[in-house]
Amino acid sequence: MQPQTIWQKMLAVDRRLLYVLLLVNIVMFLLVPVRMPASISPPVQKFYDTIEALQPGDLVMISSNWSASTLAENQPQLEAVIKHLMRKKARFSIISIEAQSRDISYRLAERVTKAEGYEYGRDWVHFGFVPNLTVAIKGMVTDLPNTIKQDVRGTRVSQIEMLKGVNSLRQYKLVIDVTPSGTVPIWISYSPKEVNIIYCPTSVMAAEAYTYLDSGQIKGMVTGAKGAQEYEQLLGIVGLASRFTNAISFSHVLIITFILLGNVAMFMNRLAERREA
Amino acid sequence: MEWLQNFLPLTFDRAVVWIGVLCTIAIYSLLYRENPFYRFFEHMYIGLAAGYSLGPLGVDILYRYWIEPIWVQGYWAWAFVVPFGLYLYFIYSERYGWVSRLVIGLLIGASAGLFFQEFSSRYLVQLNSTLQRPLWFSASNPDLTVGNLIQNYIFLAILLTVMTYFTFSYQQKGTVKGIATAGRWFLMIGLGAIFGNTVMARMALLIGRAYYILSDWLLIRVGG
Repeated sequence: MQPQTIWQKMLAVDRRLLYVLLLVNIVMFLLVPVRMPASISPPVQKFYDTIEALQPGDLVMISSNWSASTLAENQPQLEAVIKHLMRKKARFSIISIEAQSRDISYRLAERVTKAEGYEYGRDWVHFGFVPNLTVAIKGMVTDLPNTIKQDVRGTRVSQIEMLKGVNSLRQYKLVIDVTPSGTVPIWISYSPKEVNIIYCPTSVMAAEAYTYLDSGQIKGMVTGAKGAQEYEQLLGIVGLASRFTNAISFSHVLIITFILLGNVAMFMNRLAERREA
Repeated sequence: MEWLQNFLPLTFDRAVVWIGVLCTIAIYSLLYRENPFYRFFEHMYIGLAAGYSLGPLGVDILYRYWIEPIWVQGYWAWAFVVPFGLYLYFIYSERYGWVSRLVIGLLIGASAGLFFQEFSSRYLVQLNSTLQRPLWFSASNPDLTVGNLIQNYIFLAILLTVMTYFTFSYQQKGTVKGIATAGRWFLMIGLGAIFGNTVMARMALLIGRAYYILSDWLLIRVGG
């Protein structure tokens, strides 16, 4: 049956037309050379403040578990985190429980640190891929060099300048979990209580983490690309997330408009059917 | 002319970008309709991801934790570890299936032991945080604001209503049913927030790909 009323026509719109409109909207707002400022949410402010409280030389563990599929959200987060740590002159190690993330995070850190003159082995190190985070954390708490054994370049942990005298995860000040997976409960469960944890989840994972934020088990949170944009704004840098700003905001406006129009059409159509009956 | 020279896949780096764009278009072609072009790239991606994982597994795990300790450091006892793990595959044998239970038992035992620590570190802290929420002004809570107090009452109301919804030991009717219904509504709002975040994540991924096509492939300056 052919749609008759405007409401029926709206309900019969080809979904592919909506995809095209969404794509046009995104491309258009990516090309706009003006960036809208973001209002800073409390979890992002706390995240920023936790890193700001670090002293030069403090040790930080970055758990990077993302791969190509969530690059748009996790890459801006990790880039901004590394830049902030370098600004604070903190030393950091990266560990991955995701095989793809081993190389992605290593290359990203190498690119970002090179620009700032941060030296591998002295200022930062990559522990490579570990398949079981629970076992790795428990091992690092009791004996870090013998748990990790070698870094991603094949150098023994005991021979790495940055890790001279570092025997346990307890000597770290902070853990930063950049991930699209449910790894933060593992860090909360098994890492030492004196080590603070902050979290960079993808947007999908963020809602579940508010309980940990509320109870103080994590000290701050940067949610997806939107959170990364707020964080970049606090840092005063223009990264990937800042470039996505307009497109993110207006794609949400468009989707909300679609939802409203779809619902109005559905209710009006029902009303019309009832009247006819 | 210079733009065209930079745009064409004349160098290795540019060829990689072109392949990336081809993969992106192939995967998103599913939005138009199911097609063999999409299927081919989907299978290629899965195969690549699985094959790629074998590399770090060999270098970072098997070599670092098994082969090197045995061959370089002489800890020959480690030689028995991997065969013991492989006992798990006896699960496919009717006659020797019991051997796999040795490994399964060990894993279950370890997981149960670890859960004690997980429970105390993960859930007790949350229980503690919930029970410590002040519900009135007193000298012991000098920093408590009206806003925080309202927030605490909302928290308590949601906690109790949702817990009532999940109490199935008696028939829910009358007032209890009303409370449980409110709990269900709060749950729906929570799930709606999770779904909203999921849409936000998918948008970010699409924007990431659009950025790649515009910035890396078409060499257009994006986002100012």
